[in-house]
Amino acid sequence: MSLVLRNIHKHYGSVRANDGVDLEIAPGELHGLLGENGAGKSTLMKVVSGFIAADSGSIEFDGAPLGVASPRVALEHGIGMLHQDPLVFRPFSVLDNFLLGSAGGVLVDRKGGRSSLAEMAARYGFDFDPDADARSLTVGERQQLEITRLLWRGARVLILDEPTTGISEPQRVKLFAVLRQLAAERLIVIFVSHKLEEVEALCHRVTVMSRGRVVGRRELPTPRHDLVRLMFGDITLGGARPEVTLGDPALSLRGVAARTRGAPLHADLTVRRGEVLGLAGLEGSGQRTFLRLCAGLDPVGSGTIVIGGHDLAGKPYRRFLDAGVHYIPAGRLEEGLIAGLSVAEHFELVGPNRSFMVDRGAADTLAAERIAEFSIKGEAATTAEALSGGNQQRLLMAMAPDHPVLLLMEHPTRGLDLGSAQWVWDRMLRSRAGGTAIVFASSDLEELQRYSDRIAVFYEGRIIAVIPASTATSSSLGLLIGGVVS
Amino acid sequence: MGRQGRWLKRFALLAAVSLVVAACGDDDGEAPEDFKFGMILVGPQNDQGWSQAHYEAGLYVVEQLGLPADAMIVLDKVNTADRPETSIESVVDEMVAGGAQMIFATSDDMKDGIEAAAAQHPDIPMIWSSGDSAWADGKGYRADLTNLGNIMGRMEYAKMIAGCAAALTSQTGKLAYLGPLINDETRRLVNSAFLGARYCWENYREQDPSTLGFEVKWIGFWFNIPGFTLDPTQVTNEFLASGADVVISGIDTTEAIVRVGQAFAADEAVWAIPYDFRGACAAAPAACLGVPYFNWGPSYVDAMQSVIDDEFEATWLWLGPDWDDINNPDTSAVGWVSGEGLSAEASASLDDFIAGLGSGDIELYRGPLNWQDGSVFLTDGEEATDFQIWYAEQLLEGIVGASAAE
Amino acid sequence: MKRLRSAPLALAAALGAIVVILFAAGAPPLEAMRVIFEGAFGTTDRLGATLMAWTPLVLAAAGLLITFQAGLWNIGVEGQIAMGAIGAAWMARSVEGPSLVVVPLTLIGGAVFGAAWALIPAWLRTRFRVHEIFSGVALSFVAAAIAVYLIIGPWSRTGVASTSGTDIFDPRAWLPTIGSWRASPVGIGAAVAAVAAVLVLLRGSRFGLRIRAVGRNAESAHLLGIPTQRYLVAAFAMCGALAGIAGTVQATGFHHKLVPSISGGYGFLGVLVVLLAGFRALWIAPIALFFAAIQVGSTQLSLRLGIDSSLAGVIQGALVLVVLIVGGFQVYSAARGPVVTGEGEA
Repeated sequence: MSLVLRNIHKHYGSVRANDGVDLEIAPGELHGLLGENGAGKSTLMKVVSGFIAADSGSIEFDGAPLGVASPRVALEHGIGMLHQDPLVFRPFSVLDNFLLGSAGGVLVDRKGGRSSLAEMAARYGFDFDPDADARSLTVGERQQLEITRLLWRGARVLILDEPTTGISEPQRVKLFAVLRQLAAERLIVIFVSHKLEEVEALCHRVTVMSRGRVVGRRELPTPRHDLVRLMFGDITLGGARPEVTLGDPALSLRGVAARTRGAPLHADLTVRRGEVLGLAGLEGSGQRTFLRLCAGLDPVGSGTIVIGGHDLAGKPYRRFLDAGVHYIPAGRLEEGLIAGLSVAEHFELVGPNRSFMVDRGAADTLAAERIAEFSIKGEAATTAEALSGGNQQRLLMAMAPDHPVLLLMEHPTRGLDLGSAQWVWDRMLRSRAGGTAIVFASSDLEELQRYSDRIAVFYEGRIIAVIPASTATSSSLGLLIGGVVS
Repeated sequence: MGRQGRWLKRFALLAAVSLVVAACGDDDGEAPEDFKFGMILVGPQNDQGWSQAHYEAGLYVVEQLGLPADAMIVLDKVNTADRPETSIESVVDEMVAGGAQMIFATSDDMKDGIEAAAAQHPDIPMIWSSGDSAWADGKGYRADLTNLGNIMGRMEYAKMIAGCAAALTSQTGKLAYLGPLINDETRRLVNSAFLGARYCWENYREQDPSTLGFEVKWIGFWFNIPGFTLDPTQVTNEFLASGADVVISGIDTTEAIVRVGQAFAADEAVWAIPYDFRGACAAAPAACLGVPYFNWGPSYVDAMQSVIDDEFEATWLWLGPDWDDINNPDTSAVGWVSGEGLSAEASASLDDFIAGLGSGDIELYRGPLNWQDGSVFLTDGEEATDFQIWYAEQLLEGIVGASAAE
Repeated sequence: MKRLRSAPLALAAALGAIVVILFAAGAPPLEAMRVIFEGAFGTTDRLGATLMAWTPLVLAAAGLLITFQAGLWNIGVEGQIAMGAIGAAWMARSVEGPSLVVVPLTLIGGAVFGAAWALIPAWLRTRFRVHEIFSGVALSFVAAAIAVYLIIGPWSRTGVASTSGTDIFDPRAWLPTIGSWRASPVGIGAAVAAVAAVLVLLRGSRFGLRIRAVGRNAESAHLLGIPTQRYLVAAFAMCGALAGIAGTVQATGFHHKLVPSISGGYGFLGVLVVLLAGFRALWIAPIALFFAAIQVGSTQLSLRLGIDSSLAGVIQGALVLVVLIVGGFQVYSAARGPVVTGEGEA
């Protein structure tokens, strides 16, 4: 009854979402699948549950190969996947949703279904009103309903993708209890998450993924910094950095809190011109909020953000731009570039020209210059989405002002090949030499250690330590990222 | 008040005049093989109401004059909601281009369009039914449009009969009138139904006329246009909910009889009187007290014959029933067919009432009558002229409902 | 972008659908198609009637192109047409003077009323995040209700309360025509100018570039420093102004009075035209002509072939369906195209 995955490959264009993944899970096992966003966890699980087809590789369950990629076929083989926000046909009743896709012909055995639902619910301690409108269910209740449905349909492997997002604490406790019960009933439970605590609390074994590959497997419990190191990588080279003389303060934060979160991120932090500050932490620990606050994109709840001598807290985004702040987000195509617009049009959008009509000739000339300067593999007329990830990043950087006061970058090299990543950092360090202060978030310890002057470590929405990068080691950072302050 | 035969006299006069006027063209009086005419309907041609009555009159004309089957060029649903891209003028253009030698524009709503079209095609005789553009004494007289005549039935009589039938049947003494839009014509018809009802309430039911409830609600157009008019079914529901037990319809379509028929089938003591089309009771026969209807056929035959004979004159005709037999399809311009819902006893009273109207013994447009606002319409013993009846300024005293836009 | 190929494809599919329907209804399809074509283009008068329907359709579609490019579903365009007609009617009823004075005033009045009405969904969207589809549907009802109120109430004919319309405007307020032609050269000129202006605006101007940026990715556009809300509001206002002119053409060029269904459904039809045109300005004119021709020409089916008039409605409904299916197919095939968006996917 084991689930065995061999050499799974799945590529999206030049991106290797899964790059030769092997995985073997025994019955009765609660297996954690851990990794930062973009590590390839969800892709792998979609392959297993039949939502997408792998480019190559094999899946066996109970000794039989699974061929066709379809959730229905997968479920017939006993593999069921619970999505983050389970799809529920809202206008229908709870019972109808339960019966959806059930075996049999056109006629649905509602009476039998009703008693099955009651029986299954009793077995796992859930409480459903079969006739309630599915619209009235919370995310957690929809999850419970979907788990019940998958089990009733005969699932022997239950995959849960980030199941604790958006559910209440009692529901989480309930969920974990049920998952343990299922494991005791010899089912396979795969728990996909980037939350260390939950994996530690629940799972028997854990597989850690990074950049589309499996980077480690551990029996639990294991020290937390060990898992962090697997997720974030080791520091292998260690520090030769060019000496830079630091200038005036470029960014000073004092007691800044986002409007959406109560507590301040940090009491007091200053980044000077020519300095590089790295932001470390598990995904969602506050790094993004920090960057967006500094960029003027998120509303400030309290505190001061002094940039170039002026407190800009609460000021419109435009003031931040004028003050020389530039932010490059991680979602290059989602929140940085504009799909459908060409490279030349992107330059026009940020260009200094203010005439009513666009001068196409001049625009193409400007684009050609920038394309050459930033070695973008593409033409003036190439649309943003047709560029590779590395070239999208080059375009984003080419659109930045030449010498920003403060450059904010979120995962500047995520998803890039080594050459592009190197190019990005060469470019950034050149800006820094010109007096730009750089703040960047990364999930790569090596990148953090190599390029930062100081590293701010985030844990649960706050900066818990700011340490000089020269003294940082894999284990000291690993402990801090795991929330352990020595 | 017009009497039986007055319109026949009119026709005789017309015939005499046209003999003199007859000029060019062949005068053989036979319908030519290729004679075609256009029929513009405001609603669907099978609406069981106003438009169907005209459509069937067109068929009657074809049959009576021995015209080829494709002689009638018909276009229904000609209104701005159903055909936003179509104007009366362009429809007339197309019908003329298609060979029509005569045009019938069969709705009050077509006034502007047909007057413009008549001016653009001065050689094509046209009839604007229910209009007043050819009435020399009327308010809307267009002396310049010598090719545009008007025909209308004296529906007042049939509405009086309808009102009487309602009053003879009602148990609650509350009558309701489902009105279309508000204008001279509709006020006139509501007033007539009210007069008939009040007369029968007082004289046959022997009740105090002040105890008779009579309410009108207007939907805003001749038929339901969702979003632009009130929903007639909804209005009918409101009537029933307020205790009215007979709904008299004044709109082109059958919502009232359909809705009331449903209530009747659910054992409620409610009845309806549809309008316009002789077969309109078919929607709910058991709940139907009868229907006042138009019979346009004979007058359309006459009009078209005058065109064929090249004797057409733009005249305004207001044609009454043939009192010898108000349901004679070849002579009576308006009629009344009683429905299954009318009791035998009521039926006898109604026959008496109809006979009284025909003989002139019952004259309802005779003073004293007051307008709704209390001002005097007719002094004691005064009889209304055609002009006073046609251009009904207000509803009458005793009717609940709006006389004009609020 | 494969729109160029798919627009003719959709038109061919639409024609195919018409043939099938006619066949099913027992009408000779080729003869019926010929009748429709001749009904739309057979004589100069018919061409005039077709252009009369084409004019508001093109104006509405040109306006919708702006809002679509800004990423907005301005379904409220129907109401903006109606309000434009109301504005034009107000001018036509209250200003007396020569055509040279009154006609421009009606056009301005229509544009201003249409734009003002469009600012309401713009305000609700930018201020309260109310989606423009919901506010648009509601506001279209309100606009129609205002028209009905005016027609039955303050602007009713003396002694009449009918939704059949107001009094005919003073002929000096009518859009001028040439000879017996019903289509006004002013209206046609406005439609052509609107297409040209929208074409230049969206393809060539910095303003249009920013509108497109906002429409395609408001978040990125904001990041690039574009005041996105201002551009959304501007797009709404421009569309509303063009819709208002469409309403003016309907009121002063076609009906010569205000009627309740003054918008004639050209707003909804305009949405289809823009979708079918693949958001390209140049395709609006021919596709709108196709729809106008079907609409005007199908009247002939009843007149000449005696086909039940509801068939024209069936044909138009089928056209809508075909457009949606072809449009859906486009989206489907575009999603399978060689576009790399998998990056960063986990």
